[in-house]
Amino acid sequence: MPPDWNELDEEIRGHLALSIKERIERGEDPEAARLAALKEFGNVLATRDSIRSVWRPRWLDHAEAVARDIRIALRSLLRAKGLTSTVVVTLALGIGANAAIFSVVRSVLLRPLVNREADRLLYIRQTARGIGTENLTFSMPEIGDLESRATTISTFGDFSTVDFTLIAFGREPRVVTAGVVNGSFFEVMGLRPVLGRLLNAGDDGPKAAGVVVLTHRFWTAVLDSDPGVIGKTIRLGPGMATVVGVLEPSVPYPAETQLIANVVTSPHHLGATMVTERTHRMTELFGRLAEGATLEGARAELASVHASMMRAHPEAYSARAQVQLQVTTFPEQIASPARTILLVLLAAAAVVFVIACSNVANLILGRSVRREAELVLRAALGAGTGALRRTLLAESLVLCAAGAVLGLVLAGPLVTVASRYAARFSVRALEATVDSSVLWLAAGLALLASVLLAYVPRLPSSDRSGGLGLAAGSLRMTPGTNRRLQIFAMTQIACSFVLLVGAGMLVATLNALQTAHTGYDMRQVLAIDVPPSATGVGDAKTLDFFQEATRRIGELPGVQGVAAGMIVPWRDPSAGLKFQFAFEGYQPADGEEDPTCRFRPVSPRFFAVLGVPLLAGRDFTDGDHNDTELVAIVNQSLAQRLFPDGDAVNRHLWFASRGKPRPRRIVGIVADVDDENVVQEPSLTVYYPLRQMGLPSRLFVRAGGDPYALVPAVTRTIRRISADQGVERPTTLEDVRAQVLTPERLNAFVFSAFGGIALLIAVVGVAGVLAFSVSTRTREFGVRLAVGSTPSQLLARVLKEGAAIVTAGITAGAVASYVLARLASMYVGSARLPGVLPAVGAAAVLGAAAVIASLIPAARASRVDVLQALRSD
Amino acid sequence: MTKTPDDRRLDLLQGTLDMLILRTLQWGPCHGHGIGQAIRAQSDDLLRVETGSLYPALHRLVKRGWLKADWGISEANQRAKYYRLTSAGKAQLLRERDRWSQLVHAMGLIMNPAPRKE
Repeated sequence: MPPDWNELDEEIRGHLALSIKERIERGEDPEAARLAALKEFGNVLATRDSIRSVWRPRWLDHAEAVARDIRIALRSLLRAKGLTSTVVVTLALGIGANAAIFSVVRSVLLRPLVNREADRLLYIRQTARGIGTENLTFSMPEIGDLESRATTISTFGDFSTVDFTLIAFGREPRVVTAGVVNGSFFEVMGLRPVLGRLLNAGDDGPKAAGVVVLTHRFWTAVLDSDPGVIGKTIRLGPGMATVVGVLEPSVPYPAETQLIANVVTSPHHLGATMVTERTHRMTELFGRLAEGATLEGARAELASVHASMMRAHPEAYSARAQVQLQVTTFPEQIASPARTILLVLLAAAAVVFVIACSNVANLILGRSVRREAELVLRAALGAGTGALRRTLLAESLVLCAAGAVLGLVLAGPLVTVASRYAARFSVRALEATVDSSVLWLAAGLALLASVLLAYVPRLPSSDRSGGLGLAAGSLRMTPGTNRRLQIFAMTQIACSFVLLVGAGMLVATLNALQTAHTGYDMRQVLAIDVPPSATGVGDAKTLDFFQEATRRIGELPGVQGVAAGMIVPWRDPSAGLKFQFAFEGYQPADGEEDPTCRFRPVSPRFFAVLGVPLLAGRDFTDGDHNDTELVAIVNQSLAQRLFPDGDAVNRHLWFASRGKPRPRRIVGIVADVDDENVVQEPSLTVYYPLRQMGLPSRLFVRAGGDPYALVPAVTRTIRRISADQGVERPTTLEDVRAQVLTPERLNAFVFSAFGGIALLIAVVGVAGVLAFSVSTRTREFGVRLAVGSTPSQLLARVLKEGAAIVTAGITAGAVASYVLARLASMYVGSARLPGVLPAVGAAAVLGAAAVIASLIPAARASRVDVLQALRSD
Repeated sequence: MTKTPDDRRLDLLQGTLDMLILRTLQWGPCHGHGIGQAIRAQSDDLLRVETGSLYPALHRLVKRGWLKADWGISEANQRAKYYRLTSAGKAQLLRERDRWSQLVHAMGLIMNPAPRKE
């Protein structure tokens, strides 16, 4: 055991006492004896310290040496503020970007789900690729068939969503999305309650009491985690229900809902359409693998069950649709859409890191050449290779640690952005946070970078005479160092080029989407969700309500027109509103089916309000209702395709497949608009008057001035007619489009950010290399000037050198991005080669930036003072 | 010129202090001051051990396990640390003594070569 200070002091005191006693016994004066003893002992403190140091562990000495190195590093770095801050910021960008992307990747792809045995939880879906549908969902009869015959699945859970007006908890009425599930849903999902209970078999069937489970997010965010909600009775749409529990935090799949209710709460789920119609598909299906069953076994069995079901009901599965059953595990299902984009982002972040490192390597390399004299001096004074490396390592450690710390600071906001971005692809991204694993990652990256950086500079080699290095006051650059510098600079340019091309491609795509002609009047039209409570489907009350609302809002000042419809363009899903129609006077060719058309019930003045020109015939009027003639309006494409002779008006059409045809007369033709795609694609559309079919749920208000200024008045007007009515998401069509394009914008933004960072770093890199090269060649320039070169020739020389680096870098980058794009297209169907424009643009931007960056060092070269330059060496 | 006692004094050879301490303690436990005095007395005042070297050396030997230290009361009626040899210390002393006599022998061969036999 090492002695403590007191013990050492006591030992020394003991020694002195003995020494004094001895002297006194020899006859010395006590005071003189004391002084003599002290004098003989020497430096008490130093002795005590050297005793202590005997006990000190060896590693402490090493640590002290490292600490000393780090202190020296800090001092010398503080002297080179410009270099230090450049390096730290560069590394911080590289590390921050990686940390942010990594934390999202981790939460989406790596972190285990809370679901019990998630690997045995299956997501089952039907695809109909023939009609471009990746997820057709299921109807209840289909689920019944699968359930009764499958043996590899122990339990099935089904889930569908319904919007309810919720009146509860003493709050304003609000429209909530509820998941409607069967009793075994939660057991299949393997989830637990944090409060109360979840649903079970006792909650199934039309006779059960209405019960709901709150999702954790809703409970915490809206209800402030109030435990008192359990047992509360709430009004949910048409009926009442009791809150029985709160679900644990879990991935909200297949849909983000506020609550999850049993079947009895939704009249629609009890209705005949839901229960008996095989094509009424709105339900998603989960299954848990039975004991001993494997995924492959379940796939095979379900596929054969599904095939025999399709054979038994050929009317529900058209051959053209190519309906197929897909079975995936739940983790795979929720992560797969995000995997590609995340891996691409991870790659982009890695590229940024490579750029950052090579830039920093350049700066460090330059610095080490500048301080070669210092290193030689240290070596001459006895520092071994190890000690010199340690000095360099300490310096790069300090730099990289600072970079990592700043990078983590940056990572916080970056994670927020990145997770919101990735949430478009996988809900799990919202769980991403900066946590310890990110800290480790940053530390790891910093360590990797610092070790690499410490080995970049060449040490003064032992075979060179120390005298030469010591004597030389100026800088020399060996061809090796210069080549290394240039290679690093080229790497940066090449990597930046890849990122810039990618960003350019995405920006071009976004631009095309944002400026595409839509056919709507985008600025002046306000779209408002006025969701009908689930009271009735298409009943007269709703229609009257909308007619009244339309009339009253139309009288508000500043309103130029009001119309109702069922979907807001781009924002609302319209997959179900598509039917096959038969047309009088149009005979499909042999083997061709009746044309599938979009089906859109709209109110009178709909086209005028949205700015869609009426091309022929008339608009719907208030006179078109159930007691008058059945009428329809078709779009231009339909009229031209089916009636090339221009005689569409006054022809009749009807639903092709449903019982007895009820022909309706085409009364008008309108211009084409596409409410599914932001970039217009040709489609066939049939419009019905809302009063003859359909259920209005959206209002469109055309404003004379600022559309948003009308929102309070519109809301007040609607609430005056029906106090509980939800009035939601008032947005101009232009903003709807902007919202719909958010993922594209984010894609473009993220890649532009990466590209911008890369460009910045690369430009600094090129400028740094040239500046360095110029500063080491002062003498050469002096000689050139002396023998007759003009300053402008020198300037051109340096610029040419920069241009050479940039050209080589861009060429390498072009090859790399071509190869990458080809590789990507092998794995990802939608990947394509970047267009010529983004590539040329990226090259131009990089080239211009690099040339501007090399102007500064070039100018310095041309201003070299001949006499000074020649004397300098 | 007269010789002062200090001029007579010899510097310790490097690495021999440990051996001297071990050797001194062979007679029994002793405190630091006593060890210093014993070395001085036994060397006929030729060797003087600085306290600045003696105490670190003592602690080094304790750390290596060759000595053990216990507190006791000294002649000055004060608490003092008494050092004594451990069995490992005794073994070390034997090793050092062998090494030392080899060294002395070797040095003697070089410094006082035997007259060459013709």
